[in-house]
This record gives sequence, C-alpha cells and structure tokens, in this order.
Amino acid sequence: MSWAAVLVALAALAVQAWRTRRTVTGLEQRLEAAHRELEGLQRAFERFAPAEVVEHVIAEGISARSEKKEITVLFADLKGFTELGEGLAPAELVTILNGYLARMSQAIVEHRGHVSKFLGDGILALFGALEANPWQTNDAIHAALAMRGALADYNATLLAAGRPALEMGVGVHRGPVVAGLIGSEGLMEYGVIGRTVNVASRVERLTRTHGVDILITEAARTALDGRFRLRPMPPAAVKGIASALATFAVEGFDAGGTAR
Amino acid sequence: MAASAVIADMEWEESLLPPMPVPADLEADIRRQFGVVPGWLARVAPTPWLARAWAALVRNPVAHVPPALCDLVALVVSQDNSCRYCFGAQRAVLRLLGYREAYIARLERDFLVAELSDADQAALDFARRVSRADPRPSRPDRERLAAAGFSAPAVAELTFTAAATVFANRIATLLALPPEPLEKMVDRPLVRLLRPLIARRLRKQLRGPEPLPHPNDGPYAPVVTALDGSPAARVLRRAIDDAWASEVLPRRTKMLVFGVVARALGCARSEAESRVALEREGFAARDVDEILATLASPRLDAHEARLVPFARETVRYHRTVPVQRRMREVARGLEPAETLEAIGVVALANAVCRLSVLLDD
Repeated sequence: MSWAAVLVALAALAVQAWRTRRTVTGLEQRLEAAHRELEGLQRAFERFAPAEVVEHVIAEGISARSEKKEITVLFADLKGFTELGEGLAPAELVTILNGYLARMSQAIVEHRGHVSKFLGDGILALFGALEANPWQTNDAIHAALAMRGALADYNATLLAAGRPALEMGVGVHRGPVVAGLIGSEGLMEYGVIGRTVNVASRVERLTRTHGVDILITEAARTALDGRFRLRPMPPAAVKGIASALATFAVEGFDAGGTAR
Repeated sequence: MAASAVIADMEWEESLLPPMPVPADLEADIRRQFGVVPGWLARVAPTPWLARAWAALVRNPVAHVPPALCDLVALVVSQDNSCRYCFGAQRAVLRLLGYREAYIARLERDFLVAELSDADQAALDFARRVSRADPRPSRPDRERLAAAGFSAPAVAELTFTAAATVFANRIATLLALPPEPLEKMVDRPLVRLLRPLIARRLRKQLRGPEPLPHPNDGPYAPVVTALDGSPAARVLRRAIDDAWASEVLPRRTKMLVFGVVARALGCARSEAESRVALEREGFAARDVDEILATLASPRLDAHEARLVPFARETVRYHRTVPVQRRMREVARGLEPAETLEAIGVVALANAVCRLSVLLDD
C-alpha cells in the first residue's frame, strides 16, 4: 500500500471520527435539554403532588400507591353564584370567577396550602397533604382569614366597576384521609378521599344556616392556636353524620394575645 | 457547559452579609483543614464557632465510608436543596479531584442511571431521604442499606454526611453566599495542568475509628452516641458544645429553635430534650406547649418572636429565594454576629434533628 493510500485512509478515519464526535455532542446537548425540561416538569408537578409521589411515578409509572394521613381540609364556595351568573354575560361571569379563584388560591398558597381542585366556583384546598406540617390547622385558618381579606378587597374592586359583590363560605375540618393518585387511565390526579373531605364540604354549607363566612369543626378547633377568636355555633344536623355537628365561627386573630 | 446550565437554573439572592475581617488564628485553622481559604470564611468570621463547625463537619470525618462516596452525597444533597453555593463548590471540588464533566453531569441528571454500583446508588438515595425527611427514613431504610453491604457504623456516617451537607446548605442558602471562586479556577489552563497535585492535596483520607468523646453529656448526647466509633461523633459533639457556649444569643433562644425544628421534622426525641431544657430555663410546660403549637408567645423576646416562626421555614423549602428574603427580614435589626449565630443554630438544628433518624425505630 502506498503512502498516499495510507494518508487517504487516515484522513477518512479522521473525518469519520469528527462526524461521530459531532453527533455525540449533539445528542448530549439534546439529552441535557430533555433532562432540564423533565426536571422543570418534575418541579412543576411537585406543586400538585408530594415529591415522593412524583419521583415514584417517574421511576415506576402510575400505580395505586396510596397512604393514610391526617390533614386539614378547607372547602370554599360562593354563595348565590349560580343566581348571580344568570344576570351576567358569560364572559363577564368567567372574568369575575377567575379573579376570585386567583385571589383565593394566592391566599391559600401563601399559607402553605395546596389547591387540590376547583369545583366550578368551589375550592378544595388541603393543608399537610403534600408535606408533613404540624401547624397545618393554624395555616388553614390563617388562609381562611386571608381569603376573607382578599375577598373584601376584590369586592371593592367589583363594586367600583359596577359589578355585584361576592359572598363566600368556608368550611374547615381536620381528620384522616386516604391520599394517592386517583382517576382513570386518561385523567389522573393526586387527591384525597374520605369522610374528612365530606365533612369540610358540609361545614361550608352550614355557613349559610348560621349566617357566617368561616366555620370550623371541633376537630379543627382542638388543634388551633388559642389566639383565634371563635364563636360557638348551635349544633346542627348535616347529611351523612348521625349526631348534630358542633361548629365554631372564626371571627379573627389576636396577634398580640396569648394562646391560652 | 452542562454544569452552568444546571447552576443557571438555581435562583439565588444577593449576599446577606458583606465579607468581614478574618482573625489570623481562625484563618490559619481553616487553611490547615482545607488546604485553601474558602470564600465563605470572610462571611462567617464574626462567629468563629460557626466557621470551625462548618469546616469540621464537611471535611468528611469518616472511618467506615469511602470519602469519595461522601463527596457524591454532598453533591446530590446540595443539588436536592438547590443550594447554589454548595452545589457549585462541590462540583468544582469533584472536577479538581479528577471526575469527568460528563460523569458529573450524569450524576446530576439522575444518579440512578449514572455508572454507580448498586450500593452507591442505595447510599445516595438514602442520603437524599435523610435530607428531605418527608417521611423520615426509618429502620427498614437503614436495613436496605445494610443489605447493600453497609455496616451499621457506615450507615451512621452516611447519615452524618447527609446531615452535615444539610447544615452547610442552610448556612450558604440563608446567607446567600456568592459563588465560590474555586468554580472559575477549575477550567484555567494552569489549574488543569496542576490538577493531579491539587487533587492529592484535596483528597480526603479515610480516618481511623474513634471512641466516643468524653464527656458526652452536653445537649443531644444520644445523637452523638449514635455515631459511636466514628470521628464524626467528636466533630458533632464539639459543634454543639461550641454553639451552646457562645453567648451571642441566649441559650434558651437556641433551645427554642431546636424545639421548633424538631417538631417540624417529627423528631420526638430532640423535641422532648428541648422541652426539658426550656423548662430548666424557666419556661412552664404550658408555655413550651404554646410556643411549639403556635410559634408565638408573650414569653418570647423580640428576637425570639422573629426567629421561632422563621426556624420552621428553614426545614423544607421548595425555592431558595423566598426563604432568603425571609432571612433578610428576620436579620433586620440584628448585629452580624447575631444573624450568623441564628443561622448557625438553625442549621445545626436541621442537621441534628435529621441525624436523629439513627435513633428512630
């Protein structure tokens, strides 16, 4: 073989090596970009499910893995919103509703809560579900008071714009739930099931009976900072619960007071 | 290139405190331990116990786990805690030790698919669980490590390494330390040329087993005892004792911080010990109940009224900037030495109450 042939072969090898390297570099860059995208998605999903659940899904796929935990459930609903909607144009109705949901969500998140789902004009929020939180009930009631304040501000804006004011009811209950990935193959979400959720919803309905905006159960009151000003309400019968349910209206919070 | 992409995604605030003069003896002490003077020293200099504790805790005082594995634990935990400073610095150290960029990038992406042995992967997974502590790793988690080939003292040292990294992450994050200058030096031609020599100086050696320090009758002694046989026990004992001996913040303030962090982490033992100590400081049992249940009380002084609720926020945070901003609010009106001691105690509480998983059933 002549020297020229050897040189040509070497040159061909060098070109091939250069091409391979370029391909590998390109693939590595794409892999890195995909990884960053996946990591971004993972972090985003951690706002909707515990980090451990997200990791489990990534590693092993969707499963029926679930756990029992004690959490605080906040259920909020707008009073008379259906009737209100009948007098408004659809676009205006949605704008008002979205403004409300955004403000309430912010109040919940700022107090370490997690909005599990919107149910029309209703909000199901969980405290202590995504991560262990020994102060979950205090956080939930602080969130409820922040929602009250945020709604007052929003109503001022609505009234100034010639729109109707909104009225909200909030029910809070603490108790055990089963938490896990719930749904069908096509639509799945991290959620909780159990009597605690139903009771929170029923307590929210009782706000109409008692004419107040924030009501909590005895179970929530027991875990609560004594500086919250509470007013006992007469026990009331609610669907699905054998005995009359004792509840407390939340009037406010004395930051400078004593917890006893 | 991959490194800068990961680091670029880590949000970070401006540094909380400016660099301050470093006493000569402290600088010499830290240089002796590290071989270089790390960038953080000038930021923590007014609180010597904190500087010494940081240096000693992260120097891998281990006798049963390879220091190289501890280095990987530090990287994984720092990344998980989104600590821009520690992650960048640890990455730079690994590069200087001779790890390839591509290898580190694979570790960052997912250590479960990096070229690691099953035992190393199990160790890193466990370390991350210790750091997250949600739920706290339990006996079955430790048994899985044993099945992967780790002895009981090795499991204790892995837990210590993860907890020590949590300590460093809290200090660096709450102070919002600027990037370690070492990061920029790694790719300089001269440093690359001298890398083998630098690596030899940086490489940590496995130390010999050590008996428990005597006396071990200070705060949180059972946690120190759980490290029996490891040099880490002496390091931890000294860090806690020095923190307690410092008089910048009252002892009761430190106990309150430990109590809150213990409750947030579900560490019943540390909470019980903090309760007893607080009662010895003059708090009635119902005062302690009130403080731990509500993070507030008329019995708290002005500093404590800010520090106690803040301590809770340092346990788990999904984003660094909000906790760094909260730290800035808490530090308003405090002297640098008070701020540093508060950060040091919060960091130590986070480490000790995670390390206490060794005592859990």
